[in-house]
Amino acid sequence: MTLLWIPLLTLLGVLVPVFTERYGRGVLSLATATLPAVALALTLLQIPTLLEGDIPRVSLAWLPELGLDLAFRLDGLSLLFALLILGIGLLIILYAAFYLSAEEASGRFFAYLMLFMTAMVGIVMADNLLLLWLFWELTSLSSFLLIGFWSHSSEARKGARMAMTVTGAGGLALLAGLLLLGDMVGSFDLGVVLESGDAIRADSRYPLMLVLVLLGAFTKSAQFPFQFWLPHAMSAPTPVSAYLHSATMVKAGIFLMARLHPAIGDTALWGWIVTLTGMATFLYGAWFALIKTDLKAILAFSTVSHLGLITVLLGVGSPMAILAALFHIINHATFKGSLFMSAGIIDHETGTRELSKLGGLRKAMPVTAVLVSLAAAAMAGVPLLNGFLSKEMFFTELLDTPLLGGLGWLLPTLATLGGILSVAYSLRLVHAVFFKPAKESPPKSPHEPPHLMRLPVELLVTVCVLVGIIPAVLATGLLDLATRAVLGEALEFHLAIWHGFNVPLLMSVLALAIGILVYAMHSHIRRLARQFAPVDARRSFEQGTQTLVAATQAITLRLENGSLQRYMSLLLGASLLLATLGLLDLPTLAGDKPSQPLDGVLILGAALLIFGAVGTAVTHRYRLISLLMLSVVGLLVSLTFARFSAPDLALTQLSVEVVTMILLMLALFFLPQKTPRESTAKRNIRDLLLAGSLGMVVASLNYAVLTRDMSSIAHFFMENSIPGGGGHNVVNVILVDFRGFDTLGEITVLALAGLAIFKLLNRLRLFMPHSDGEGRLWSPDRYPMILTSVSQALLPLALLVSAFIFLRGHNQPGGGFIAGLIAAVALILVYMARGVEWAQSRLDFQYQPVAIAGVAVATLTGLGSWAFGRPFLTSAFGHFHLPILGDFELATAMLFDLGVFLAVVGATLMILANLGKLTTPHRPSKEPATTTPGKEKKS
Amino acid sequence: MRPEVALPILIPLLSGAISLMFWRSHFMQRLVAVAGSGALLLTSLWLMASVNADGILVMHMGDWEAPFGITLVADLLGAIMVVLTGIIGFAVALYSLASVGRGHEAFGYFPLMHLLLAGVAGAFLTGDIFNLYVWFEVMLVASFALLILGSEKPQMEGAIKYVTLNLLSSVIFLTAVGLLYGLVGTLNMADIAQRLSQVEDNGMIDVLAVMFMVAFGIKAAAFPLFFWLPASYHTPPVAVSALFAGLLTKVGVYALFRVFTLIFNQSPDYTHEIMVWGAGLTMLSGVLGAAAQFEFRRILSFHIVSQIGYMILGLALFTPLAIIGGVFYIMHHIIVKTNLFLVSGIVKRLRGTYELKRLGGLYKSHPWLAILFLIPALSLAGMPPLSGFFAKFIVIRAGIEAEAYGVTFIALLVGLLTLYSMTKIWAEVFWKAPPEPRDDDKEIPAISHRELWQLYVPVVGLALCTLFIGLNGQPIYALAEASAEQLLDPARYIEAVLGQGGEVTP
Repeated sequence: MTLLWIPLLTLLGVLVPVFTERYGRGVLSLATATLPAVALALTLLQIPTLLEGDIPRVSLAWLPELGLDLAFRLDGLSLLFALLILGIGLLIILYAAFYLSAEEASGRFFAYLMLFMTAMVGIVMADNLLLLWLFWELTSLSSFLLIGFWSHSSEARKGARMAMTVTGAGGLALLAGLLLLGDMVGSFDLGVVLESGDAIRADSRYPLMLVLVLLGAFTKSAQFPFQFWLPHAMSAPTPVSAYLHSATMVKAGIFLMARLHPAIGDTALWGWIVTLTGMATFLYGAWFALIKTDLKAILAFSTVSHLGLITVLLGVGSPMAILAALFHIINHATFKGSLFMSAGIIDHETGTRELSKLGGLRKAMPVTAVLVSLAAAAMAGVPLLNGFLSKEMFFTELLDTPLLGGLGWLLPTLATLGGILSVAYSLRLVHAVFFKPAKESPPKSPHEPPHLMRLPVELLVTVCVLVGIIPAVLATGLLDLATRAVLGEALEFHLAIWHGFNVPLLMSVLALAIGILVYAMHSHIRRLARQFAPVDARRSFEQGTQTLVAATQAITLRLENGSLQRYMSLLLGASLLLATLGLLDLPTLAGDKPSQPLDGVLILGAALLIFGAVGTAVTHRYRLISLLMLSVVGLLVSLTFARFSAPDLALTQLSVEVVTMILLMLALFFLPQKTPRESTAKRNIRDLLLAGSLGMVVASLNYAVLTRDMSSIAHFFMENSIPGGGGHNVVNVILVDFRGFDTLGEITVLALAGLAIFKLLNRLRLFMPHSDGEGRLWSPDRYPMILTSVSQALLPLALLVSAFIFLRGHNQPGGGFIAGLIAAVALILVYMARGVEWAQSRLDFQYQPVAIAGVAVATLTGLGSWAFGRPFLTSAFGHFHLPILGDFELATAMLFDLGVFLAVVGATLMILANLGKLTTPHRPSKEPATTTPGKEKKS
Repeated sequence: MRPEVALPILIPLLSGAISLMFWRSHFMQRLVAVAGSGALLLTSLWLMASVNADGILVMHMGDWEAPFGITLVADLLGAIMVVLTGIIGFAVALYSLASVGRGHEAFGYFPLMHLLLAGVAGAFLTGDIFNLYVWFEVMLVASFALLILGSEKPQMEGAIKYVTLNLLSSVIFLTAVGLLYGLVGTLNMADIAQRLSQVEDNGMIDVLAVMFMVAFGIKAAAFPLFFWLPASYHTPPVAVSALFAGLLTKVGVYALFRVFTLIFNQSPDYTHEIMVWGAGLTMLSGVLGAAAQFEFRRILSFHIVSQIGYMILGLALFTPLAIIGGVFYIMHHIIVKTNLFLVSGIVKRLRGTYELKRLGGLYKSHPWLAILFLIPALSLAGMPPLSGFFAKFIVIRAGIEAEAYGVTFIALLVGLLTLYSMTKIWAEVFWKAPPEPRDDDKEIPAISHRELWQLYVPVVGLALCTLFIGLNGQPIYALAEASAEQLLDPARYIEAVLGQGGEVTP
């Protein structure tokens, strides 16, 4: 369980800065450092166990079904990285305490830093591939937050997003790779995966998986051609650059390759891809480190270059190469970490990182000068420093590798070339900053930093020197454990400074000598380099995304131009396509059922229906005529219902027709009577084709269905209507009983529609047209006498009819819905004949409550059955006898029907009254002189 | 009798009615809003517990045996969806207290909200295909009324497109239901499923399946049927957007899940293959559309589309793991997307605009809001260990296991672009320094402590849900797994509805 505490402590450490920030910088940094220090101690305490050959592991189930466990291990490889992460992390905390200025949100900074540390510790200790990936993404996120810490700077924001996008992309490739890997092995447990190397390499999906995993590793470790994000991540505060972008995070990719090497390494494909990518990166980084002029950019490119070097070694993959890779990871972390921190010190003290503005700092900062010189010498591979040792091993391994076969000499040659460049840029770094006289003076007058700020650098440089002199004492133990973890067995090796005169030594000497020469000719080289247009990675990246955005904008605009017609046509087109595809698969359209005989009435009806439908579309510009055409369609539909013996439906359809026609007429009053021509001929043809073919497809489908046999549940309704529902009118019993729940929903829709229209009209400011389309004034005789008197006489009669229809509904055509519509029509007539004001003053109540009361009555009726322990909406009925009136029947369904009635009347009149209100004289109307026909639209 | 099966529909229906009765009372409307949605949440949890304990629950409306009456059915998927409806309804009701102005309240914001929830719950619980249509209509009209609540010009324009395109979906749906009835002569979904298995004419079934796919695809905002969504979702008050974003499209997705596991499972090679490509294109077109946007809510709207693609992909791959992924994705997405809209509303309240160019500096001034944005945003992008990671992970793993590499690649790519899009909002709204004030900036009324509190509470609650799903994914996964098991074994559903043996003699 101790193992679990190591990541847990750092995770808890995220909270510490948040709570201690208010006590000042000193307390803050000390408190922040406490938990990782304990974690470091815990890690060190595990070493004895490791030395005994055990690997401490711990595992808790998280989502076992998916193969995700909270599993950690601490083998030698994890140990090496954990020590680096925690150790350097502590130094960085100390350094950052001085680096950040007083007004900066240091609490937030430290919190992010701790989050990052947790993520890194998680990666290196994860014993489960999915858990590893989880922490992997967390490093991307925390690095995003840290790079963008100075969020006011656009550089920082863009750099952060670029890093996030590139490493995020790699992360997703890695996820796919790991999923494939897990699928091959059947487990995400690291132990199982590492032991299944042979099975993995034999799998047909191996190449795909390898490429995906390597994509993840390469993007994270800034390998060519994904190196471009790293230099731009340097807009982060320097502690971040030192920690994330040189010592730890960028090594996560390398760690991953080392970690998975036993499982997926050791094939020709691995060797080729990894070695060549590493070599390209090694040279590319070294070259740009030589020609950049910003201190941090130089260090960034040299980091890229060294990452390449390590990658090459992992690609070569021999036991000694692995050893060299691991050794160089330690060495690079020490010398590059100290160099970055020194660069931060120089930046801090002089106010610039530009080489041209620096120079001669040896006098002002003598101690720093010594430290930087030593670290740079280690970087260049000068003997007696740690960098020399691992570089020697690098040369040795490249001489021995069988890769590239006959062209085997190429790798050592390129390596020497890279070595030369390293020497040159290291020399340039030291010389240009400390020794060369300054051309111009820096913004601030430089002096030594506070000693505590310099302390981390001093410690790291001491390590460089000591390891360089007595490697066998200091590094052997750790490397032994780490190589054992990667190779699975102990490796016999001996670290020494002197191996006698041999080729690698010659290569080192050559690199040193020529490197110095190259630096001497440095100005020529820079002139040469200047002839090539510099490629600004960030700009290309931005351009790339800009192009993408522009392209998507273009596509989006093409698809989505805001035109409803366009959307409709796309939608209908898609439906047409899919339905047609289906129809094409049908062997025959017609089924087995014979057609009904045709007669003259049917043909005439069909012809009229078609005429009405086509007419509606053709005359759409003349709204009134179009509306009349539509009413023809409606009428014929109700006749069709009547023809096929559905009197209920016919009645309903008819009353719905009447009400909608009246309401539409009212609405048309406010619209111009004729609309201008809006569609081009081309569009008309498109629409015609679309509508025509859709019509044919739907007709074919109908035909296909109607000619096929089916047995329906209809007979049940016929049989049960009287015994079960207590009504002879099956349609009504279906509406209020069998499928009463549908009706409940539908009256809700109706009430809602009333509300929506109420809302729509309420704030509408319409102008009343004073004349018709031809400019004729409306008749001054507003309420025709005959209509007035007739309507008044009709009202009670119609209400009576409505009541009659309602009451008989359960047994004969009728019911709440139709009755409601009839009552509504009668009231509408009064409104029309007498005007809104007259009617409103006499029918003075709100209609919303009526509609909603309908819904409530229906719902409560349904709930009533619960009181009797029956399901919702269970109906009951009985026959009663009253004197004089005789036998009659009462059913709860009637109460439900009353709800329907109320909802229909309420909603319809709500719409009407609100439309009507618009026409009252209180509304503004336009002056006759200013109106032109066809122009009166919404104001 | 199990009242909890019907209560999630009836409670909001009655709350809506009561709320309308107290049309003029500001206080009562708000009281009913909180009490009604709270009661809905509680009953939904009750339903979940019952379904978990006793399996699929049914209620025959009017005591008419299936398939003759209308049957309510609550299986695990239905119960999960109802719980999510309860959570979102309650969160949005709380949020609305501070964010919906009195003007909107006067025109029935709260009653409409209740009725919308009733429609959503009805759609999730009904076992009858025509009744599903009815609840779709309730939702459509209620959402239309909510869209036009402000009567502003862009709202009207958006609402017209919304209602027209959705009515088209209704027409197709209704036509398909009619044709289906013509083929099998029944409307109960379990009965349809059973009778369809006896129909030999597979060609006819496929045509009908495709029509349902189109009808529900429009509702779910799948490619190329999604245009109504980005045209309208950014126009209404933010509480309305949040409600829509969380629930409406998911009803379409739910309907696809229901119909294409229960009824149209005969030829997945044909129907589900179409869906695989539809899902891929939906993911892509949504995320690319988002890349071109620079308005907070428009970006979020386009991401709804792309996320719908993942859910449909889960259904389309049609393996147990993929269905689990789809269900998990729905659970995660509803919470996260609603929350993002709610956060955008707070930003709007603080700064008076949704335009990224005119926002900035909130990281410094409101660090907690920044964190509250980051949680759902990163979750949406699939960052571990948040809920979205597991959702995406399961779907992608299912894709790899099904060897559907093309569409899996799209899913991964879209994840990356989503992340890019979220960092865009983050950089512009939170990191960037606030832009210089402009002359046409409106005065932003000072925000009271109480108001801010009311806005924050639901956002924090939903963020906690996201974290909970992420860190404690096991029970959620188990739930999704159990519901996927039910979905892939339609016989259980049929048996629950039609009784033992499932045979009904016509």
